[in-house]
Amino acid sequence: MTIAVIFIVLGLLALVLTIYLAKGHLKKGGDLEKLAIQLRPVDVGAFCNLISATEQQYLREHLPMREFRSIHRERMGAAVEYVRCAAHNASILMRLGEAARQHSDPSVRLAGEKLVENGLRLRLYAIQLIPRLYLSMAFPKAGPTPDILADTYDDLSRQVVTLSCLHFPTHGMSSAL
Amino acid sequence: MLFASYYLWTAPHILLGVFLICLLGRGLQRQLPIFAVYVVFELVQFIVLFTISLHSPFQVATYKWALVIGDGINSVLELAIIYELANELLISRSRLASVLRPALQAVLAVLVLGAAIGSGAFSEISVQRVNNIFEMIDFSSNLIEAGLVLALFIFARALRFSWNSWTVGVALGLGVSASIDLVSDALRAEWGNRAFSAADLTRMTGFHICVVIWLVSVFLAHRIPTFPDSKLKISDLELWDNELQRMVQR
Repeated sequence: MTIAVIFIVLGLLALVLTIYLAKGHLKKGGDLEKLAIQLRPVDVGAFCNLISATEQQYLREHLPMREFRSIHRERMGAAVEYVRCAAHNASILMRLGEAARQHSDPSVRLAGEKLVENGLRLRLYAIQLIPRLYLSMAFPKAGPTPDILADTYDDLSRQVVTLSCLHFPTHGMSSAL
Repeated sequence: MLFASYYLWTAPHILLGVFLICLLGRGLQRQLPIFAVYVVFELVQFIVLFTISLHSPFQVATYKWALVIGDGINSVLELAIIYELANELLISRSRLASVLRPALQAVLAVLVLGAAIGSGAFSEISVQRVNNIFEMIDFSSNLIEAGLVLALFIFARALRFSWNSWTVGVALGLGVSASIDLVSDALRAEWGNRAFSAADLTRMTGFHICVVIWLVSVFLAHRIPTFPDSKLKISDLELWDNELQRMVQR
């Protein structure tokens, strides 16, 4: 009885989730101007400061442990928000790339393909990074952020810089970033 | 009840025939060839079973064997379609295969384990041995299908991977049908012959919904929102991509 009920619930849950997720895919659309409006600003300087190893070390040395923990939690929380914004912007760039893949010019299609690939990478970095940031938030001592996360942070922060620095003249995307 | 059973048996297959014509007419079978084979096989199975059912006297044994063998082949084809979808939508189109493949394998391993547990628990799903074996295969394949389709949608959502409406439709149809079949299998396993009719109707309704989704998706196949060519310049795209690529490859 119990196992049957479990599978009935699982089946219904899978049904609802599949429909919900598919609906999200089918709803995608819009034009470039609308996409540009959806971009979220990312303050790269502030983000770099938050993930800076030396900054973290300085705070650790100059603050009482309790205060450091509290500040570290806040900093990591803010970093998570930045990463989310960067990932959100990457998803918009991927839609730009998807649009380019339908272009009549093969070279534009190819460029769009590459843009999608790199946007995917950034999203993947973000997916890996966010749980680590939460982990660092919970265990600031056990998980020294710069040592463990330096590579990913660096990649991501540089990509955020890229997102904020690049220009897309007609739609104001760069200013939105 | 009899009318409902006949309607749910024949109508989805008539719609499936229409769907196949649209599929071939638009040349979409090249994109998902295994799926096209599955549709053809499903129609052939229906024609065979329908012909047997019209034969007088009704040959129960022949009908059951045709049903059991057909369902077995269908289960294999449906799993092959999931692989085809995963390949088409995620793995072959990105350089992320090294990350996504193990993730999908892990999901598959969990689902196989779940299927094994379920099969053990529902070992008396049918009174006849041959039927029992294929009911088990059917249950396991439904569980794996529903789980893998859901996993594909979750990956695509997490990575904001864009699917076109046609392939989303195929995946959605399969997912809906497999989920409903899973519920129907569990109902049948728990309440046996008492739930047989209700479970069978539920399963046929699931397939009907699935075919309608496929049909709608094939009609919407060319309605993907596009951006005017004039708004995209190669220089802009190259700039974005060169910068991104330089940063990613360190």
